[in-house]
Amino acid sequence: MSTSTAIVVAGEGVVAAAPRGRRPRAPRRFRMQSRLAPLWLLSPAGIVISALIVAPIVFLIFTSFTDFDQRTLFTGEYEGVGLEQYARIFADPRFWQSALLTLLFTAALVAGSLVIGLGVAHLMTKLGTTMRYVVTIVLIFAWGMPNVASAQVWNWLFQPGYGVVNWMLAQLRVFGDTTSLSWWNSPALALLNIWMLVVWQAVPFIALTTYAAQTQIDGALVEAARIDGAGEWRIYFSVILTQLKPTILLITVLSIIWDFNVFNQIWLTTQGGPENATATLGVWAYLTAFNQFRIGTGAAIAVVTTAMLTIVSGFYIRSLLRSGEDL
Amino acid sequence: MSAVVTETESVTTAGPAASRPRPHRRRRAIGADAIALAFSVVWIFPVYWMLITAFKPRSDVMTATPEFLPFHPTVENFVSAITRTNFLLNLRNSVVVVGVAIVFAMLIALFASAALSRFRFRGRRTIMVLILAVQMLPGAALLIPQFLIFNDLGLLNRYIGLILAYVASVLPFSIWSLRGFFVTIPVEVEEAAMVDGAGTWTILWRVLFPLVVPGMISTSIFGFITAWNEYILAYTFMKDTTMYTLPIWLVSFRVPNQPVDFGGQMAASVLFSLPVVVFFLLIQRHLVTGMSAGAVKG
Repeated sequence: MSTSTAIVVAGEGVVAAAPRGRRPRAPRRFRMQSRLAPLWLLSPAGIVISALIVAPIVFLIFTSFTDFDQRTLFTGEYEGVGLEQYARIFADPRFWQSALLTLLFTAALVAGSLVIGLGVAHLMTKLGTTMRYVVTIVLIFAWGMPNVASAQVWNWLFQPGYGVVNWMLAQLRVFGDTTSLSWWNSPALALLNIWMLVVWQAVPFIALTTYAAQTQIDGALVEAARIDGAGEWRIYFSVILTQLKPTILLITVLSIIWDFNVFNQIWLTTQGGPENATATLGVWAYLTAFNQFRIGTGAAIAVVTTAMLTIVSGFYIRSLLRSGEDL
Repeated sequence: MSAVVTETESVTTAGPAASRPRPHRRRRAIGADAIALAFSVVWIFPVYWMLITAFKPRSDVMTATPEFLPFHPTVENFVSAITRTNFLLNLRNSVVVVGVAIVFAMLIALFASAALSRFRFRGRRTIMVLILAVQMLPGAALLIPQFLIFNDLGLLNRYIGLILAYVASVLPFSIWSLRGFFVTIPVEVEEAAMVDGAGTWTILWRVLFPLVVPGMISTSIFGFITAWNEYILAYTFMKDTTMYTLPIWLVSFRVPNQPVDFGGQMAASVLFSLPVVVFFLLIQRHLVTGMSAGAVKG
């Protein structure tokens, strides 16, 4: 699922939480005659979700216990192999490499976009109306760009030979002649490149949300700290960040989920290369299932990936429930 | 958390707010403006570069020293992107697939979210959590089995397969989003209608559904953006170039019989991104105010 889905979901989920405080009590139960109404209303969604999401997930788990491959797509023949697929991927050093890469890369993405996002949010509170408007528009443009298009733009910006970023680096005369530098041939540069692409698009959500939260902080708190002799940095770290804690927590958990699932930005720049150096678990599962057509193995990787992610999303859902979300 | 709040709040009462010396503040404001300007230039640069490359003639795109201003603006890249590729055909595919998927998803989500917000029944909480959980699944987890099932049913390379996949990916968040709009409607509205003798269905159709129309609009815009941008499902399901949607068209963009044409590619990126960015600008206010309101509550 793409990032923008998730952004929206989270945003709206939060919206849902907002106005509830104002309402004195829960909606009253409809009269007895309408007992069946919720059932009727829910059944279309129930059918769609069961058929298109729940059943496929069950099928995915089933597939991961078979030797499903290219032949099966045509003949429909397959055999149950028990845990063999899992044994195979756990014995494969590339799996551990990919899992480690996914975790580290997710951490780097979350840390980078949070630090820059929080910085920009704080910066926005110091700006006049015009400049703040400019920054907001800039952020919305970066945010609104579809990641398929921004991946194309990235390929052009960093193109070896005529890419403008390579040209600018060459002008710095620090790294030598970088004009024909190929970013996607070196694992470290490829990762840095994708990191920039993802962070570029992740910062706007974080900056705008945090900025909005920061404007809600009672100014008296800041004034009081200032009178007590706290410097700007001290005020930011002791007063403002403390006040922003719930927002930051929410953003962090959501960022972990999104960044863990980053796919397009990797697929459309490096396709997991060079030599699997940028193949996170999602990309690797896709490559295994659809390039090598080892669908059973791909399914097993997807199951493991889902299990890993469930730990994080479980934490998110729990904290949402705890924060007084009245479901 | 609450302990910290009380602590800082007691600090508030410590003394009256004093006004800061003015010159100090102004100096800092100029520093902040400079940083903000630098940030804006860096952050907008990829978009700017996409735009001016798209408007450059072919001879100006690949130059040893890049041209930072469009000295010879032209729309030839757009013309060739539209007329010399499958743009119109693929645009139609995108519009049909995304349009049908969104209409279906919104209708189903409208009913479901009404049930989940205006009624209390056993298992409601479980259903909400389940819906939230399924939308966090990694892409590959749904892609692989959906591909196998649709392959079996002969739905690949056809509108219907992609439509079903998009309904599935848009539906969960649409339900959550619409539910957010339903719960803001005061119970009194319902009670008034009930006193007037309206039954459950009348209340739903005549009172509640009209009140969530704004929510339907913004939710369907979100859904549209998601499905419009979706790449990997379409790439995996649609194998004929005539069945491509715009994201695949964009990635495989190449004017026939010519070397890689970055001007054309950037023009294609502009064409593809334009509706999405416009929608983003339109709903921007809603996006941010909505999210912040909830996030601060913590």
